[in-house]
Amino acid sequence: MASVPSPRQRSWVRWAGPLLLVVVLAVLPLVFPESVNEIIARIGVFAVAVLGLNLVMGYTGQVSLGQIFFLGLGAYVTAYGVSNDWNIVVVFVLACTIPAVVGLLVALAAARLGGLAIAMVTVALPIVGVPLAKRLSDYTGGSQGLSARFGDAPEGTGLYDDQWRLYLVLAIGGAVFLLTRNLVRGKYGRVFAIVKKNENVASSVGISPYRYKVLAFTLASLIGGVSGFLYMLVIQYTSPETMSFGHSIQLLAAMVIGGAGSILGSILGGAYYVLVPQLTNLVDPSLTALLQGATLLVVLFVLPGGLASLARPLGRGRRSSHDRRGPTPPITPSATTGSGTAAETPETERQGHP
Amino acid sequence: MNMHSRSRKALGIAVASALALTLAGCAREGGGGGASGGGASPGITDTAVKLGISTPLSGATAGPGTCTVAGVTAYFGAKNAEGGVAFGDGKTRTVEIEALDDGYDPQRAKANYDSLKGDVFAMTAGLGTPTNRAWRDAAIADEVPQVLVMTGDPLFSDTEESPWQLGFVPIYQNEGEAFGKLLASSGGAHKVAILSQNDDYGAGYVEGFKSAVEGAGNVQIVGELTYEATDTSVDAQITQLAASGADVIFNAMSVTPLTVSALQKAQQLNWLPRWFLPSNTSSPGAVVEPGGGAAFPAIYSVSFAKAPASPAFAEDEDVRTYLAALKEHGNYPDAPAFPHCQWSWMVGATLEQAFAKMTAPTREDFMRALRSIENFEAPLMLPGTAVSTTEAGQPAVPTVVVQKYNGKGYDTVEAFE
Repeated sequence: MASVPSPRQRSWVRWAGPLLLVVVLAVLPLVFPESVNEIIARIGVFAVAVLGLNLVMGYTGQVSLGQIFFLGLGAYVTAYGVSNDWNIVVVFVLACTIPAVVGLLVALAAARLGGLAIAMVTVALPIVGVPLAKRLSDYTGGSQGLSARFGDAPEGTGLYDDQWRLYLVLAIGGAVFLLTRNLVRGKYGRVFAIVKKNENVASSVGISPYRYKVLAFTLASLIGGVSGFLYMLVIQYTSPETMSFGHSIQLLAAMVIGGAGSILGSILGGAYYVLVPQLTNLVDPSLTALLQGATLLVVLFVLPGGLASLARPLGRGRRSSHDRRGPTPPITPSATTGSGTAAETPETERQGHP
Repeated sequence: MNMHSRSRKALGIAVASALALTLAGCAREGGGGGASGGGASPGITDTAVKLGISTPLSGATAGPGTCTVAGVTAYFGAKNAEGGVAFGDGKTRTVEIEALDDGYDPQRAKANYDSLKGDVFAMTAGLGTPTNRAWRDAAIADEVPQVLVMTGDPLFSDTEESPWQLGFVPIYQNEGEAFGKLLASSGGAHKVAILSQNDDYGAGYVEGFKSAVEGAGNVQIVGELTYEATDTSVDAQITQLAASGADVIFNAMSVTPLTVSALQKAQQLNWLPRWFLPSNTSSPGAVVEPGGGAAFPAIYSVSFAKAPASPAFAEDEDVRTYLAALKEHGNYPDAPAFPHCQWSWMVGATLEQAFAKMTAPTREDFMRALRSIENFEAPLMLPGTAVSTTEAGQPAVPTVVVQKYNGKGYDTVEAFE
């Protein structure tokens, strides 16, 4: 951030937004009632899951229908570790690395295929995952699933459990979002973009599309594992139903609705995933599926770029007013710096929906 | 300069909002605990009590899920129309029901619970093992009753593990055991083939069956195979079991199309054993008729509820009241397609019993009252079955009767023929 020299007052503006966000996020859990905190925590869980999907699909252009499998795997690893009283830090590390390793192994094979073939391979993950989770009942609790309660507020903090959990979700989720944002804004983001746009061009400038597809898929699996950890923290229960194929499609719909290839879109996608079933329940509990389908269609017709496209004119206007950085070609040697809190750079935005 | 004033403004807003929010935070005291000490629990007043349901109203299990809401809503709708339900503390209250859709997704079930727990007195009647398990721990921690839920999972009936829970329907073991007992007492020698689903559902049935026939000299298990709930065919298993020469098949299946194809495959092989089907895959219209069940010497199942479609109960007083209420108050104009409608109606009757025994409007007292019901024959129950909540480790309905298919519906049988 500090690499771009700018007048003092401008950097002030630049910092005010994120600072405000941090202050608000730090204060809100203390203010909101329990139910709202729980909803925000759930949104955090699925925002992270959508972010992982966005990394491989929105940014790198590889259709993945298996993201829910990595969420489920992370959740199972967490549940198993917690119920065996392992150190929670070890559990967290395992919940990240095991899905990442599995993702790497799958990607090594799947990324050799192009286009929709990779989608077909990833479809297999939840389809294999559900019976596998039922069969390995010694580790997974079979179809009855595993409960694991952890993350109660430590004595002395004076916080309620839901507040403490929300802080954990915000801290872990926030870190993942920040790291991913930096990744996609930097060198790797530009490589992912060119791999998405045209693999031959990527090869011609010395980039191995295969290697970066594997990298994106592995990172997406890792982020999926993190969301699985958060899932256990918030929901405290996992079963084969968690990773059913339908949820993978819902996750995909959430990503598209939020905005493909957008950090803000991932958060909006998570919000969509959690809030729409709740809102449709308020309207008419017996028509939820219909109302959700209607919502999906309306968003796609009115906002083909997803909900994140609503925020774009705003972000763009602000950026041009004090950043003076026009759209740059995808491959540039200079470091990219962002100014918005969560809005995207123009070039990656456009690639989100060709 | 313009920028400068803007940053100032932003900072000002940040500080102001932070202050405002911190002040508002003081209002939260006591909000997180749920039940407050002293008076009545949440969700109950002197004139009304509110119950919550989280159940699948969309997706593959929407049919039974809709029934779980319709039955209990109809029951209390009819009671409310008469003025309300008399409680043990001398007050008469109307019963409101708030049902939310979870689509059989555990995560959404937990979300529904979170949104309901502050407003409702108790959660009830929801369908599904994973969806009920998802918020079981939370319900225990919050001390919210999660009672008379529709799952055969024994965990919900374990008083030690689940102090705020109680299952309603018989656990899988109860059903398998009932059939095993009948077979063991039949006198004749029988060779039994077992085909079960490879999960806790199938294992529970087989466990109950085996415990009942253990030591019975006349019952020999000659073949035992499993299938996966995700399998699309069990032809191979049926063929293999047909070769065992068994005259009885104990078929613990939960997947309707697979059950139909199993019945058909056995006929193709000209293997015609007596057949046992679990309660949820023994529907005459959806399973036995399409499967050509009339070809077999006998098809047995278990039940505890009167089937409203059966001609035997067409004139039954209970059934007529029930069907009328379902139409008028349950928002369910069609003939009930799933037994869950009847079960849910019984849940209503059982809750009314518990309400009548309550002496204080608290969740603790409700649980005590609910666990003290003995041999209550709820409306729509078959003779020989009853609601009993006093025995630890058993659901509210621990007994089932074995029934035999008669070409249209089922009749209760005393002996194996």
